[in-house]
Amino acid sequence: MTEQIDQALSRKYEAGFVSDIESETFAAGLDEDVIRRISAMKNEPEWMLEWRLRAYHSWLKMEEPEWAHLHYPKIDYQAISYYSAPKSMKDKPKSLDEVDPELLRVYEKLGIPVHEQEVLAGVAVDMVFDSVSVATTFREKLKEAGVIFCPISEAIQNYPELVKKYLGSVVPRSDNYFAALNSAVFTDGSFVYIPKGVRCPMELSTYFRINEQNTGQFERTLIVADEGSYVSYLEGCTAPQRDENQLHAAVVELVAMDDAKIKYSTVQNWYPGDEDGKGGIYNFVTKRGICHTNAHISWTQVETGSAVTWKYPSCVLKGDNSVGEFYSVALTRGRQQADTGTKMIHLGKNTRSTIISKGISAGRSNNSYRGLVHMGPKADGARNFTECDSLLIGDRCGAHTFPYIESRNPTAKVEHEATTSKVSEDQLFLCKQRGLDAEKAVSMIVNGFCKEVFKELPMEFAVEAGKLLEISLEGSVG
Amino acid sequence: MSAWLQQALERSQANQDWLTPSRNRALAALQSTPWPSRRTEGWKYTSLSALEQLSAEAPAEQPLSEIPAIEGLDCLELVFLNGQLQSDLSTLQLPAGVRIDSMASLPPEQQVLATTQFANIKPERHLFGLVNDVLAQDIVFIQLDDGCHLPQPIRIVHQSTEGQQSHQRVLVRLGHKAKASLIEQFLGNQSSVTTAFTELDLAEDAELDHYRLALQSGQALHFGGCHFCLHHRAQLNSTLIGYGSALSRTDIDIIHNGEHAHAKLNAIYLLAESEHFDLHSTIEHAKPNGTTEENVRGIVGDKANAVFNGRIHIHRDAQKTLAELNNRNLLLSRRGQINTKPELEIYADDVQCAHGATVAEIEEQALYYLRSRGISRSQALIMLNFGFIQELVNQMPNQQLAAWLQPQLRARFKEMEVQ
Amino acid sequence: MLTIDNLHARVGQQSILKGLNLQIKPGEVHAIMGPNGAGKSTLSYLLSGRDGYEVEGGSVQFMDDDLLEMEVEDRARHGLFLAFQYPVEIPGVSNMEFMKESVNAIREQRGEEPLSAAEFLKKAKEACKQVQLPLDFLKRGVNEGFSGGEKKRNEIMQMILLEPKLCILDESDSGLDIDALQVVASGVNSQRNSERSFLVITHYQRLLDYIKPDFVHILANGKIVKSGDASLALKVEKEGYAFLGIEATEEASS
Repeated sequence: MTEQIDQALSRKYEAGFVSDIESETFAAGLDEDVIRRISAMKNEPEWMLEWRLRAYHSWLKMEEPEWAHLHYPKIDYQAISYYSAPKSMKDKPKSLDEVDPELLRVYEKLGIPVHEQEVLAGVAVDMVFDSVSVATTFREKLKEAGVIFCPISEAIQNYPELVKKYLGSVVPRSDNYFAALNSAVFTDGSFVYIPKGVRCPMELSTYFRINEQNTGQFERTLIVADEGSYVSYLEGCTAPQRDENQLHAAVVELVAMDDAKIKYSTVQNWYPGDEDGKGGIYNFVTKRGICHTNAHISWTQVETGSAVTWKYPSCVLKGDNSVGEFYSVALTRGRQQADTGTKMIHLGKNTRSTIISKGISAGRSNNSYRGLVHMGPKADGARNFTECDSLLIGDRCGAHTFPYIESRNPTAKVEHEATTSKVSEDQLFLCKQRGLDAEKAVSMIVNGFCKEVFKELPMEFAVEAGKLLEISLEGSVG
Repeated sequence: MSAWLQQALERSQANQDWLTPSRNRALAALQSTPWPSRRTEGWKYTSLSALEQLSAEAPAEQPLSEIPAIEGLDCLELVFLNGQLQSDLSTLQLPAGVRIDSMASLPPEQQVLATTQFANIKPERHLFGLVNDVLAQDIVFIQLDDGCHLPQPIRIVHQSTEGQQSHQRVLVRLGHKAKASLIEQFLGNQSSVTTAFTELDLAEDAELDHYRLALQSGQALHFGGCHFCLHHRAQLNSTLIGYGSALSRTDIDIIHNGEHAHAKLNAIYLLAESEHFDLHSTIEHAKPNGTTEENVRGIVGDKANAVFNGRIHIHRDAQKTLAELNNRNLLLSRRGQINTKPELEIYADDVQCAHGATVAEIEEQALYYLRSRGISRSQALIMLNFGFIQELVNQMPNQQLAAWLQPQLRARFKEMEVQ
Repeated sequence: MLTIDNLHARVGQQSILKGLNLQIKPGEVHAIMGPNGAGKSTLSYLLSGRDGYEVEGGSVQFMDDDLLEMEVEDRARHGLFLAFQYPVEIPGVSNMEFMKESVNAIREQRGEEPLSAAEFLKKAKEACKQVQLPLDFLKRGVNEGFSGGEKKRNEIMQMILLEPKLCILDESDSGLDIDALQVVASGVNSQRNSERSFLVITHYQRLLDYIKPDFVHILANGKIVKSGDASLALKVEKEGYAFLGIEATEEASS
């Protein structure tokens, strides 16, 4: 049966095409000068450059972390190009109509709604291509509601006070090795501001595409939900199929002020490398949100891509009664390695967090959940519930669980459970007996395994995520 | 290398004996191991600074204090004082099929066997295990022949006194179908350093009841380890009881090296004052069809700090393994800390593995039930908290030992409650 | 013994009891029946003093005391006993240890000397026999691994040992087969006397074949809507609650 499943798992990566877009790309290498040039390209104010340089100097003194259950050759940071942008973007198109249609075609090919008239109902999209944002839809409509949704490079120009106040406030410049690198060289990403009491009228989403060879993508996202506001945000990512590994080191910061709610969903489908582990994206991401009083941050992620994933979307539950949630599906196949999970830092009273993590390992992959639940001395009555389930498909993969629990408060309560299971012969037999082929059966079982997480995704994307898993398992069991 | 370690190595005489090659290997490993800091994963929550703050002067050795007998339990007793064997092995009344030797006087034909075991069951990653490899003096080697059933338990008592540094080592080898019960007990609350490692090999179908009573408290610094290798169908039932001290650390490894072996490990820690207790357990399933059941419970009061790291590692070949780990903690005080990490590392698909960990207060439901029968809230809390520990004590196969321990645990627990 | 006057109570935001009146005199057996969600369990929990029930109005007098002012354990010490519908499992605390602690806490309240271990053991063994539980149940953890029927019998055993003044039986018949039901009932009947009162909460008339009530009350929508003698229970059994103009509601009260 193992062999059948194995075959079943070899599938094609549908987003693996390369687009022939003429780009302006920096030569590989990183030094102060590169950072100055990035800053200059973006026409940034002096304070921003200063900020970047400080991050760079911290980074120089830091060491790449080795604690994760990941094995990959040392990354040569001098072999990476830190900036690449389509030439057509040089003139800064003012509206969607001025954007190079070739670029938009890339997104259309990926199934991303780019034209406002034909979009999925109520989804605004920011499209980031290598190092720049190429287009953002529905900006005017959002503006009417007072919502700011724009590339972060623009926000630095147009809303410097907001950016200055919040950038690095959740993930400090030198938080960790990859965050420091990102702080030094980030090129674009999205900025969202939801004013007090506003419920964002549509789903916001950013679609990241790496196209150029030998470049890294270093995007930075900052979402500020002011008091009593609500926003649901989704990001998606793909990259072409290449034999070389490419680095993606992003930082996402969420600020949920009193009574605000941010729902952040990710469908990550970076190129995972081939069956032998050749190529693929190295995905090192720092995502963190801070919750003020009664605020609520919910992270949902479906991780099917990348050769290496290092990612721990976290919540700092600072305000009393605030709520953090983490729902994750991570599927690894081939030689993929994922080390992902979350941190829930309970500081305020009666803070609550829920962690549901579903890991599916197949092929020769390794899939690890790594999480921290911290109950601070003032977190009276705080609660956490964690459930980590692993599903192993085949006998050459690995599934691992590394939960850290730290409690400093006698009235806080932490519950952690983890189980491991496999797709059993019995389940397969039952499905087949009911007339399903094995492939459909496995995909059904996997989908059922992930149900708790999928139901947290915005509806439009839940369907897509289900399909993504199905594709991932395509051609599997015979 | 730490100043403490350097001194300890200098102070020890060069142990030139037939174990020298093994000791040298350990020394080399020790010298290439960086001294742990809080950034070292295995020492994330346990600082070794207490070791560095020891005064270098050793006061005169104190005599052995009386070892309390375990009521109703007739044991073969071995007593160590500061790492030196006090018992006269030649006077022990041993049944046929049992040998207890000091390594120093081990006949040459036995030495080969001993070298295959010394430092070979204990994984090399344990820093203080390496220290013990180099420095252990009086090493005791206990062997049971095939089919030998030892009727009474072997009780090894280690006592440390003020200012002393002792390094104890015990090797245990149970032959095919042999059956034994071993109690290891550690005493001494004064400022001292103890490293105490035991390596146990259970041959096919062997059965061992094992108790480790790490009861050193106060200013004692304790670094202990129990390392079990289970062969085909071997059965282990081990109970650890730990008190905290200025620094108390125990590493337990259970390696399933044969199929169909069964391991049960129960551990209890009861921590008061500013005590620190750190338990790292690793269960390695290297062969198929093994089962492991691990239950770890702790109560932490006052300013105490509990660390638990429980790892289950299922190797690629270990199909049909069944392994469960459950860790439950009660934190009684605002100044206390609990740091726990149950880990699974799984490379085989047809296995059933689960772990759970909780840190909580007593269930309101249970508290209400007791109170509805007229029991006061404070008394109900004591009953429930202690019941939480007692459940594991009740599972000890040796009920005389359990009965002997119970009032001691209760007394300790009551002290914790008062604060 | 017990006087409940115009009792209003809620759980969270939901009002469950809406003006309940009930008077129980010494030696009387009262039965309360009612559809799901009527507030039966709320009443028993509230009387025993469980957290989470907020009294909005009314009063409860238990002998000479204001019951609602008393802590859970004080109510028990003054002679109020609740046989739980779902007895809690407490591994690690033995039945014996639990009951001894409890009996002596209640004796202390009455100004009596604590029982010695031997005296207690004798009583406990007798009680055990009376409810047909094997003696080793005394050594086992409280309700740990007991079957549903064993848990219910364990509750009755506790009742026998604690010699309460008012016994509230919360669905003590639920989940019992006919043999177990008879054991429970005979345990209860053996404790009936002119001083001791019972409040029997049940869903089915069946239990009342074995424990004959003096009064039967129908609780619906947070109030007693009808009271009568044992024949009322039979009528409900036959005709359902419909004749009272009550429809069973879905909301659970516990």
